[in-house]
Formats: sequence, C-alpha cells, structure tokens
Amino acid sequence: MAGMKISLGYLYPDIMATYGDRGNVETVVRRCEWRDISVAVTELRLGEAIVPKSLDLIMIGGGGEAQQRLIAPDLYKVKGAGIREAVDLGAGALAVGGGYELLGRFCQLELGAELPGVELFDAWTMRQSAVLGDHSGTISDVRADRAIGELVVRWGATLLVGFENHGGGTYLGPTARPLGQVLTGHGNNGDGTEGAIRGNAVGTHLRGPCLPKNPALADFLIGAALTRRYGAADLPPLGDDLERAAHQAAMQRALGDGRTMHGKLRRAALAKTGLAHVRAGR
Amino acid sequence: MPGQVALTIDPATLASLAAEIPRGAVLVTGSNGKGTTCRMLAQVMRAAGLHPIVNEEGSNQQSGLATAMVAHSAMTGHLPADRQAMGLFEVDEGSLPEILRHICRPRALVFTNIFRDQLDRYLEPAYTKVLLERAMQTLPASTALVLNADDPRIACLAPGLSNPRIYYGMDDTDPGREAADPTSDFPRCPRCDGELSYTCVYYAHLGHWKCQGCGLARPQPQVSATKVDLMGPSSAHLQVVTPTAESVLEIPLPGLYNAYNALAAVAAAEECQLPDRSFSAIERISAGSLRMEKVQVPGHDVYLALAKNCNGYTEVLRAILGDRKPKRVLLGLNDFPGKQPDTSWIWDVDFASLTGLVTAPVVCGNRAADLAVRLKYAGWIETSHDAYLAVEPDPVRAFKLALARTPPGQPLWVVSTSVVLGQLRHWLRRQGYVKEVWRQQGGPARWRA
Repeated sequence: MAGMKISLGYLYPDIMATYGDRGNVETVVRRCEWRDISVAVTELRLGEAIVPKSLDLIMIGGGGEAQQRLIAPDLYKVKGAGIREAVDLGAGALAVGGGYELLGRFCQLELGAELPGVELFDAWTMRQSAVLGDHSGTISDVRADRAIGELVVRWGATLLVGFENHGGGTYLGPTARPLGQVLTGHGNNGDGTEGAIRGNAVGTHLRGPCLPKNPALADFLIGAALTRRYGAADLPPLGDDLERAAHQAAMQRALGDGRTMHGKLRRAALAKTGLAHVRAGR
Repeated sequence: MPGQVALTIDPATLASLAAEIPRGAVLVTGSNGKGTTCRMLAQVMRAAGLHPIVNEEGSNQQSGLATAMVAHSAMTGHLPADRQAMGLFEVDEGSLPEILRHICRPRALVFTNIFRDQLDRYLEPAYTKVLLERAMQTLPASTALVLNADDPRIACLAPGLSNPRIYYGMDDTDPGREAADPTSDFPRCPRCDGELSYTCVYYAHLGHWKCQGCGLARPQPQVSATKVDLMGPSSAHLQVVTPTAESVLEIPLPGLYNAYNALAAVAAAEECQLPDRSFSAIERISAGSLRMEKVQVPGHDVYLALAKNCNGYTEVLRAILGDRKPKRVLLGLNDFPGKQPDTSWIWDVDFASLTGLVTAPVVCGNRAADLAVRLKYAGWIETSHDAYLAVEPDPVRAFKLALARTPPGQPLWVVSTSVVLGQLRHWLRRQGYVKEVWRQQGGPARWRA
C-alpha cells in the first residue's frame, strides 16, 4: 500500500457539518493512514467547481433546511455535473442526511418551495411541512414531524448501525437502488428501504457519524477510491476491536437485550434474515 | 417539585409571585455558562446589599423557577416584604418562550452564547436563535438586553427591537487564535447570510467577526476584558473595563469560558447599576456542583467537571490541559436511551490538539464504546495499543480503575456528561467523600431530597 495516494473532495465543510459528520472524513483519512495510503483532502466550498477526473472520493455531510437552502443553488449549478461524472468514472461517494437529500432529483421543503437536486440518485424528498403546510411552533411539534432514533440497516451481508434524525420522507424512483433494508428505525420513508446506492456512491440517513462504527462501509469507500485510481484494491484488515465493540453496543441499544418481549421479537425477526451472527466489518 | 405542585394548583403562581419582586428579575439564558454566570452575579448582588432570589443550578425550566419562588414565599402565599429582593434566574434556552409568558417584564435578559447542543432536542442553533427571537417580541421596551458581542448569533439578536443593549466581549487578543477553531460550526452573517471572517477567534465561533458580504461586524463591547491570563487548571485573571470602572478579577475557575461568564456577570451588574466596588465579589465564587467541583478522596484530589456538548467538552479539556502538562483524566459519555440517542457531537470535540496530554485514559458511561472509538481516531492511542485505553462503562468501577492508575498525590479529573457524573457523585457522597450537599446560598436548598 505504501506510496499509494487518493484524493478526497470534502463538500461544504463549513456549512454541512451539523452532525459531527467531519468524523466520516476523519475515519477515511485515519484508516488510510494506518495502511500507509495518503489522502489529499480538498475542501470544496461555495463557488468551487469539481474536476471529476481528479477526485477518487466525494463526501458531503448533513445539514438543516437553512444549510440546504444555502448550498442547493451551488450544488445544482456549480458542482452537480462534476459529481455525476466523477461517480460515473468510478469514484466513491458518501452523502449523509441533508446532503443525501440534495443528491436526489429535488427536495421539497414546503408546498411550492422546491430545491433542485443533483439527480445522482433517482430519488426525491418531501418534508412533512410540504404535506401539512406551515407547522411552525414549539420544539415538541418539530420533533413530532421527525424520525429520530436508532437505525439498523441490512447492507448485503453486513449490518449498518447509526441513528437518524430527519423530517419527512425520501422516495426512490424506478431506477434507484436502495442502500439496504431497514431492520429497526424509519429509513427513507418507512417503506422498509434505507438510503440509495449508485455505482460506488452511497446516500444515507445514517448518522452517528456512520463510518466510525461501520468500518465495512468505510473500507468499501476506500476500496472504491483505490480501484478508481489504481484499477484494483486489496485492503489489509485493521485491528477493529474498538469499532466492533461500538457496533455491538449500538446493535444492543437498537434491538434491546433479548430479555424484553420487544427485544425478543426484534431478535426473532433478525434471526429470520440469517444475519444474527453477522458482525461489523465481516 | 413544590413548584410543579404549585403550578398544578394555580398556573399563575409563577407570574403572580414574580410580579411581587420589588426590584424585578434578571434572566440568564444561552447554551453554556448560564448557571455559573448566575452564581457570579448573585455574589455581586449580595455584595451590593441586594437579596437575590435564585433557582437551583440546572432547575431552569418553569417548575424549577416556580420552586424557587415558592420556597421564598411565606405562609400567606406571598413573598415577604423585602425592598432589597431581586430575582435572578437561570433559564433553559428552550424554555425562554414559556418563562417570558410568566415573567413578562424582566429587568434584564442576559444571553451567554448559542452552541450546538442536544441536536435531537433543539435541532440546530439556527432554530434556537429563531425561538429566542420569537419569544423576545413580547418584551417591554424597558427590558435591557445584555449580549455577548463575540457571538454573532447573540450580538444581533432581534435587530428590530429598540430595547437598550449592553455588549460584553474580549478585547485582549493574546488568548485567541488566528485560524478557525475546529469546534466551530461556522455561523453565517445574521443579516445577509454571508460568510464571516475573523481577525481573532477565542473558541468555537466566538471572536472578532465581520461579514465579508455586507460588512456587519462585532459591536464594540461596553464591558470588555482588556487582559486575560489563564492560570492553568484552577484559575484565571481578568482585567475588566466598564464605562465607569476598571477592575482586576482573580477568578478561582479556569478557562476562557469562565472568563466569558465573569464578563456576562459584570455586564449584567453594570446594567442593574450595582456599584463598581461590588464586582470583585465574583472572586468569591466557588465551583458549583459538578463545575470543576473538588472532592477529596484518600490520596487524591478529584475534580468533577460537567461537559454537556461539543463546546463544553472541548473548553473543559482545554482548561485542564491548557498548560500542556500531562494529567490523569477519566472521560465519560452517556446518552438518554430512547429520548436523546445523539452523541455525534463528540466528533466535533477538539481531542486531536490534546493528543498525548492524558496519560492512560479511562472512558466510561453507556456510550463509552463510542468515546473510545473517537479517541482512537483522534490519535490518542495507536492501533497496536488499544489495551492502553481502558473502557469500563460502569462509572464507579471506571473511577476506581482511574484512581488506581493515578500515582499517589496526583489529582484526577473527571470530565463527563450528566448521568455518569450524577452516578459518580452519588457514590462519592455515600462513601462520605462529598462532605456536604452543595447548595446555592439563599437558594431553595431546603427542598432538596
């Protein structure tokens, strides 16, 4: 691995950073460093365009509606085509929360107010307020409109853990593929799907941030970046004891301890999927 | 509890008792520092001959305020006639709208700062700001606004109101930094949403700011710190200038965040026209419960420091480790299962700049595993040395382990979120190490269980 180098484009680090999402970037950088791969991080702010061939990995974090309004025009006009081209060239991408929503076709914040998306994913997002009209009021009102809680997603043979905190729903169009199936939580819109994946680009509502506790997903993105740069990737495993422990603890929180009726039902449902024994990163 | 009962019987209790306070009330709100600011201001008020009626630190929602009032009232259900009585209440920023419906004519409203805090409760700072501004619309024009000039979210709150404004802030640029603080969440210009630039950053987004777009800039504070000396993990020295006086304060609490608390207290005292000579009473403040609270166990001094959010955690660690001398620290992290599962903010805490300063760290709490991963990625341990960091979710067992790892005579700091610290303090009390229940002077301590 020595001497290998990937380039990471970190979108709007000063705006889309509400939920500790810089931890996702830190995770990629450190897991590369531990394997002697160097990562050149380029921060791409408002007004700065993407050179598709130069990027192996693109990352964008979450943000609230104010942040979405701020970046949407720039994302659409300045960066959109570059993001689509980079992903078509094989680049990896991770878009979380509000960033994921804006990589779809559009994001409807309220009736008549629609933010255009990048159209990387055949998906769209409708806020609850877009359905209910202006519903401003107290904190509890806002909370009632939102999906907040633990989220566990089956992604192939791996379980992804995290928490979610988003309003309204994301709906997948006919050509979109979900990232995975919801085992616990709300996911895209309550229909059992969560996130979207196109090529090596992943969009998800998983927060926490999601990569530190899901090293398999982090390594998937690093592998994609290396493959795009060097044509192949062979990642040596890391000593992920702490990461696995955090993953296990999150699973326990989400599924209960198996003693309560609630926990038993969840565990039974999990056993049916044949995944009860699957651990993080395997 | 008594407040809740009183409010259930008569929802107007708080409003009617508040209206009886002869000198009105000062409310202190914001994300961090409101409790300490209140305790500092209470000292100043007492030195000025006033009798502040205060709520217990952290009991800062409607029922907590009502409890304080009920505790002060006589059998008649009224406050005793006392011309020197003045209300001084710490108010949860999310509860300000509700509180202002009861205490609708406060003498002054003091704002500390707005940080990212409990995102799964308050959602985001921009929303907190909107919430505060909406609540302020009903204020009478006489209520003075005491504002942190260095926080762009606070300095320009409710620009349409014509209320008198008094600003406080830091003028000494020595303790600041030129580059952005990694813990900042980069607020935008409060007027035009443009990008802010800073000539000096103290911490997070607090500093000397100016909008690159419309030119709006930090207002010049009337109460400012012209010299700040951080004296290590237990105190700070401040030279404070007000329109009428200049004083040097030796605060027995560490860190820039406590310097800001002192400035807020002086500015509020200035606004209430308390005599200049009373300001030095701030020096008499002792650490509040869990605010660098010192507890002695055999062989060690233990300091308990509550850190509830990204900026609190960072500033407490910086205050302890700012002298760059390695120390022993037990770090805790808990969530509130089912209610507030979000601990993502630990990824915004500036652990990276403190790498190597905590010897043999121990982590605890129901989210200890998450904290351990965070420290690993911040470079606190290398992959081959995972065993060096001890992960023990149980706070008491972790505390014993951390003490055993601390050489005799050396202090141990405990930095954590609330549940872990509460459990630990409870245990320390049962062991007899916490000698007396900490209580706020003049506060409703007699209602404590």
